[in-house]
Formats: sequence, structure tokens, C-alpha cells
Amino acid sequence: MDSSSGSDINLTDLSPNDKKELQQFVNNEAQKAKIQSTVHYLTDMCWKRCITSKISTGSMDSYEKPCMENCVDRYIDSQMTVLKHLEQLRGQL
Amino acid sequence: MDSLGNSFGMGGASAQSKKQIWMDKIRQEAAVDQARALIDKVSENCYEKCVPKPGKELSKGETTCINMCMEKYMSAWNTVSRKYIERIQQKDI
Repeated sequence: MDSSSGSDINLTDLSPNDKKELQQFVNNEAQKAKIQSTVHYLTDMCWKRCITSKISTGSMDSYEKPCMENCVDRYIDSQMTVLKHLEQLRGQL
Repeated sequence: MDSLGNSFGMGGASAQSKKQIWMDKIRQEAAVDQARALIDKVSENCYEKCVPKPGKELSKGETTCINMCMEKYMSAWNTVSRKYIERIQQKDI
């Protein structure tokens, strides 16, 4: 199969309006991809912390689910704490 | 197989559909990336959980474990995604 099939659709044929719209669309998709990639990272990291027992069902139990949610919340809290402290340290200079 | 561009005969396609073709291509590529990332993570984490001592073949128990693990991982992914998006929308960041 031809992997470069995209190149035969010429971007320069698009009207300025369509180009703008397409640019906006690409920006949105990039933003979505960035969020999804963070979700992949967090799921992986929190899975290793919260899913510690043997797998016996296809769903999370009453301990695991809140653990996953807390894991995300505390990660963001930690990130905020680091940023805040960094700001403080910068102010001391 | 005809490429997307060729099969539409780009010379005759309206500007509207050209933009649409780009959007569909980008959307499709994002979906493939997303699926690939998920498959990688599921394989890695479920192999670790379900096949701690690899034998001559995948046992029935290991296969069942992998199937359940996969469902569990996807449900964990959805939980993390919901929580993360909720947090970043709170604007306390």
C-alpha cells in the first residue's frame, strides 16, 4: 500500500478560510493527543501502585477504583506543590 | 489499492471535501496512535501481572487472566481519563 498517499492532496488548493479551519482542527487534535498521552502515563503509573493483587475480575474493586482516582488527584497536587515551591525559591534569589 | 487522493480524483473534488479528507486522515491517524499506545501498555502491564513465570505455552489460566486484565486496564484508563479531565478543567492549575 502507498504510505505517502497524503501528499497527493495538495494543501495549497485550500481556500484561506479552509486553511484556517484546518489549522484550528490540527491544534485541537494535538491538544487532545497531549491529554491522552498524559492519561496513558498516569494509568500506567497508578496501575502499578493500585492494582497490586491478583487479577480475578475484569473490573476494579472497591479499593482499586478510589485508589486510581486518588492517585491522579495526588499526582496533580504534587505537581502543584513542586511548582509553588519553585516559585518560592525563585523569589528568594 | 487506490490511495484516498486518487480514488477521489483530486482535480474534481471540491475544496470542502479536500478539507474533509485532511480532517478524516488526521482523525484516523490519531485513532491508530491511540490504539497502539493502549495495546502497548496493556501488553506490558498484563504480561507482567499474568505471566510472572513464562512456561512452554500460555496456560488457560494465564489466558483468562490476560483477558480480564485487559478489560480491567481499559476501565482503569477510563477512570483516570475522567478524573484527569475533571481536574484540569477546575482551573486550579
